[in-house]
Amino acid sequence: MASDKELSDCLKSVEKRAFKRTVYAVRDEDAALDIVQDAMIRLAEKYADRPAAELPLLFQRILSNATMDWFRRQKVRNAVLQNMSDFNMEGGDEFDLLESLETADGMLGAESAAETVSRSQILLLIEGQIEELPARQREAFLLRYWEEFDTAETAAVMGCSEGSVKTHCSRAVHALAKALRSKGIVP
Amino acid sequence: MNPLTHTNPPMAGHPLRLEALEGQLAQRLTAHLSSGAQALPHDITERLRFARERALASRRTVVAQEAAPVVVQAGRAAALGGPPALWLRLASAVPLVMLVAGLVFIQHHHDLQQIEAAAEIDSALLADDLPPAAYGDPGFSEFLRSGESP
Repeated sequence: MASDKELSDCLKSVEKRAFKRTVYAVRDEDAALDIVQDAMIRLAEKYADRPAAELPLLFQRILSNATMDWFRRQKVRNAVLQNMSDFNMEGGDEFDLLESLETADGMLGAESAAETVSRSQILLLIEGQIEELPARQREAFLLRYWEEFDTAETAAVMGCSEGSVKTHCSRAVHALAKALRSKGIVP
Repeated sequence: MNPLTHTNPPMAGHPLRLEALEGQLAQRLTAHLSSGAQALPHDITERLRFARERALASRRTVVAQEAAPVVVQAGRAAALGGPPALWLRLASAVPLVMLVAGLVFIQHHHDLQQIEAAAEIDSALLADDLPPAAYGDPGFSEFLRSGESP
């Protein structure tokens, strides 16, 4: 059973990313704060007896469910389902991605991007594109690469197969690369 | 030079290479996101801290409630939380017992009323001037029928 300190440390380590992830989904900071708080309380009350190692995964799953509950309450389920529709990839995206990455070689962390657009503006553009992703792709991308869960853990949180996670992640990365490149941003 | 392309790269369309490139790009993007998350406004971080503390307080309440049954079993007082004690479960059956007893009482009372009604008829017959055996006499029955008809 996790101690109070372990639970507190766990929540502290994930709360900011959880908030941002929820903002990307619901696009409302106040609602996102409510959802994160609701998820924290659910974790603390319902899973107080679980080991500390299980808490991050449980929290992400609870957060996903709490977000879905919010959408249900807002009666925009149809809009959510529409966003969940598969992203139609066009041929040649792979080439774009490779080109994008190879062009970006050596540019990460350098200030060359900041010469034209400030770092905060780049962040806003990236966040905007992430908000535009279909919900499942966004969730898979953020869990897999931001929360750094492996494919199996991401699949467990999302309640889908590992193959679906890989597909969602791949499509999300391609969509982001394409969208950002079209805006002149090399991530 | 791109390390992925420099050190004996597999074919460009190879799934493993593609997956590695996707991961590389994703890491770059999430690095931006992380820098943004670390720079949240003060009021947001304070509200997150409040939410965390509230969750911890809820947990303490739940843990305290779960610990309460131990006290119940050891002591004599009824607990405010935890599973119901034996007497509480028995008390919950009281309404059902009362309902069954009420039905039995109503049935018994109904039977008594029927018995009393029959006894009244018997008493009236016995107290009448005409002996009850007369009603079994065919001649008396014929007399009654002829008396009823004009």
